Amino acid sequence: AQEKFTLRMAETWGPNFPIFGDTTKRFAENVEKMSNGRLQVRIDSANKHKAPLGVFDMVKAGQYDLGHSASYYWKGKVPETLYFTSMPFGMNAMEQYAWFYHGGGMELMQEVYEPHNMLSFPGGNTGVQMGGWFRKEIKSLDDLKGLKMRIPGFAGEVFAEVGVNPTNIAPGELYTALERNTIDAVEWVGPALDLRLGFQQIADYYYTGWHEPATELQFLVNKKVWEKLPQDLQEIMRIAMRTASYDMLVHSQHENAKAWANIKEEYPNVQIKQFPQDIFQAMYDANKKLLKEAAAGSEIAAKIIESQQNYLEQSRAYTDISERAYLNTMAEVE
Amino acid sequence: MRWIIKLDEGLGKLSNLCGWIAIVALILMTANVFYDVITRYVFNDVSIGMQEMEWHLYSVVFLFGIPYALRSDGHVRVDVFYNNWGQKARAWVNLVGALLFVIPFAYLIGTYGYSFAIDAYQMGEGSGDPGGLPHRWIIKAVIPLTAIFTATAGLGMATFALRVLSGEKQYEEGHGGEGLA
Amino acid sequence: MIGIIMFGVALLMLMLGFPVAFTFGGVALFFGIFAEGMDLFAFMPYRIMSVMQNTVLMAVPLFIFMGVVLQRTKLAEQLLSSMGRLFGGLPGGLAISTILVGALLAASTGVVGASVVAMGLISLPVMMAHKYDKRLSTGTICAAGTLGQIVPPSIILIILGDVLGLPVGDLFKAAVWPGVVLIGLYIVYILILTRFKPETAPAMPADPDRSRKQEIVSALLAIIPPLALIVVVLGSIFTGIATPTESAALGGVGAVVLALIYRQFSFQMVWDSARDTVKVTAMVFAILIGATAFSMVFSYTGGDYLLEEWMLQLPGEKWGFIVLAMLVILVLGFFIDFVEISFIIVPILAPIAEALGINMLWFAILIAMNLQTSFLTPPFGFSLFYLKGVAPPQIKTTDIYKGVLPFILLQILVLAMIIIFPGWFGMSSTY
Ligand code: NA
Ligand code: NA
Repeated sequence: AQEKFTLRMAETWGPNFPIFGDTTKRFAENVEKMSNGRLQVRIDSANKHKAPLGVFDMVKAGQYDLGHSASYYWKGKVPETLYFTSMPFGMNAMEQYAWFYHGGGMELMQEVYEPHNMLSFPGGNTGVQMGGWFRKEIKSLDDLKGLKMRIPGFAGEVFAEVGVNPTNIAPGELYTALERNTIDAVEWVGPALDLRLGFQQIADYYYTGWHEPATELQFLVNKKVWEKLPQDLQEIMRIAMRTASYDMLVHSQHENAKAWANIKEEYPNVQIKQFPQDIFQAMYDANKKLLKEAAAGSEIAAKIIESQQNYLEQSRAYTDISERAYLNTMAEVE
Repeated sequence: MRWIIKLDEGLGKLSNLCGWIAIVALILMTANVFYDVITRYVFNDVSIGMQEMEWHLYSVVFLFGIPYALRSDGHVRVDVFYNNWGQKARAWVNLVGALLFVIPFAYLIGTYGYSFAIDAYQMGEGSGDPGGLPHRWIIKAVIPLTAIFTATAGLGMATFALRVLSGEKQYEEGHGGEGLA
Repeated sequence: MIGIIMFGVALLMLMLGFPVAFTFGGVALFFGIFAEGMDLFAFMPYRIMSVMQNTVLMAVPLFIFMGVVLQRTKLAEQLLSSMGRLFGGLPGGLAISTILVGALLAASTGVVGASVVAMGLISLPVMMAHKYDKRLSTGTICAAGTLGQIVPPSIILIILGDVLGLPVGDLFKAAVWPGVVLIGLYIVYILILTRFKPETAPAMPADPDRSRKQEIVSALLAIIPPLALIVVVLGSIFTGIATPTESAALGGVGAVVLALIYRQFSFQMVWDSARDTVKVTAMVFAILIGATAFSMVFSYTGGDYLLEEWMLQLPGEKWGFIVLAMLVILVLGFFIDFVEISFIIVPILAPIAEALGINMLWFAILIAMNLQTSFLTPPFGFSLFYLKGVAPPQIKTTDIYKGVLPFILLQILVLAMIIIFPGWFGMSSTY
């Protein structure tokens, strides 16, 4: 008989977390089916391991064989991991997948993760994330100055450059803090997940996104574990991870569309807004400046940023005459 | 016996040092939170670094507080039988409990906590948020550090129990909430 | 199965009187090493780190500090005894005041450890001094301190909102009436009890030299400063100046300012208060750490899967399902902490409830009410340990166990009322 493997996976999400959690479940099911039961994956959610942001360390140390999380969470540990989730004013999901699988993205990602004894694979995309819930309309750059917003990570740095005060609030107190104006705005994910936190009840302005145009989750694999697997199981894992990520992208589209229809119907107070052009320009410049600084500080960061920017340029030119042209056409006949 | 008394007194001082650190951290933490609220509300200014300092200090309060409370018998007990027992029986409970529960538990947290902190040090881990605090290893190192102090406080519990068994010391009646009268 | 045996062993070991926190930790250690090996404990630093980064729990030391300062400066005593005096010759006045102050604290925090300990520090000494029955005093304090779970803002409701996918705001709104009814019933219970057994809660003696009117005026005057402090804390939350957690720091600083105004301030007082706070905080968090080791061993040895299997055997008919689900949660609450229940059990129950056409908001409130009880149920109810940790030695663990019994029954009564008459609470059992 052939050897059987059971791999333990730690996910950053809580049990039954919609969309994200469905992705790992689908992955586990597919792996088991495709391997005819030779490879099983046991998923532990955050309630079990109690370390949502410890997934990197636990997979690295081998306490878990696999992890499901998002690369940019490890920015504080390994700054270069930032680039494999989504960048402000960066590629959209299709362009980014093309970069990962055909444009050299995977190779760069492995280069970053290899020293930490891990492999990283794309793990599902949320599509364009919404720009956040605001209690006041933002009409000019001045309205952003001194605005208190829950916005973590690199996007927070970009916002800080244009005068926003990024503020830490415990997730459990976010709703209360926004409701009572302790903070003025909150960035979360998109309609499907935001709806659960009830921001639509207390904030009227829902801004479109620019800061995470294609948030890609990740599967982390401990390298020693990976190397122990026979080649056919490795291939099965590869295919199951790739399918699961694609599945999550379409699942996100489905759930978000449903949730948005729901918000439109039940919360007519909610208005979709876009930042004015001068704000976008200021943030675009701030983003450029921060990337330049990052590239100056690290050789590998410079390499990744360059690869992404070149790829974006080439890919976007084609997106412009295909997707964008099509959407424009549709807008005209509506 | 003389050296046990010496050792016990030394261990007691160590735990009191932990208490001193925790007390200072508590006062700083209260001031820190207060300051953050005021600057945010009055001056509309937020510093993520200062906000992160809050939980750094709060962690120091309870992690250093644990060995201190162990020495001053601040940890709650179920007293269904304990308070009716004589000095010797209590000393045995504390001696065995310290050796079998406290010290091994602290040992494991200390060992695994050490690699936890070392890893953060080697990666140069810091906050990923804008303006957050660098050097995450420092606060992570508090876990193994206080595990050591908890182990020494456990040892102190054992040495004190030995002193009680020898009849040289007595447990005070009615420990627990007494220090709070 | 290992998990179940472990509970039994922990229970026996607790009886020996070794500190609760280290009994949990030590028992977990032996079972963990035996079942999974040493390396299981490599998870402990992560679990401790998640407590360290859980900034909502910062409310614990901050509220305790406020409580200790109020107690050391005698301001708490003044608040409670004046409130008690307002009730005139009515026995039980202090207990009712305790419930009311507990309700105010509950509205400013959702962290049970913080409010039970603060209430224990503030009102237990006063009740003891006025010759209250030990059981009534401790039961009242545990119940009042635990109100924070159902009265919004509340951690349990936030967790349930997350697990069930319900907006937190809806849950907060839905919990208001059940909370108010519970508080009302506590007060009614105290009134009835003290009517028949006035010796359990003697009325505050009136000053013979003063008229009732003078008495009321002086009591009102004495209430103002400490009450103002509570208003500042609550007000800072409602106006958004501070988050609930931060408001606790305003309370601590405010208490020190009050001490200054009343010439009770000294650096020694602040230092001593901080020392007491550290001790009690350490007690609370050591229990949390011991308990997290315990639940780690429980779930990594398959306890969570076992619970899942049990849950899937509940009946598939609405009322049978509700009643049995509530019973199971109640019984599990005796042994397992509410976070584990919310995360392990509730996700399994939710789809069944949904399929039965049960209103999830109503279901969530039932669970929250039920889980609140788990803080009070012996042997492992956290509120009981917390209060014991700050109680004077003449209060025995068994006094507290017996003292909370009537309040547990009242909670179950309210739970039954919400189940049977959801309309009274502005809810309905179906969509
Ligand atoms: Na509350
Ligand atoms: Na319990």
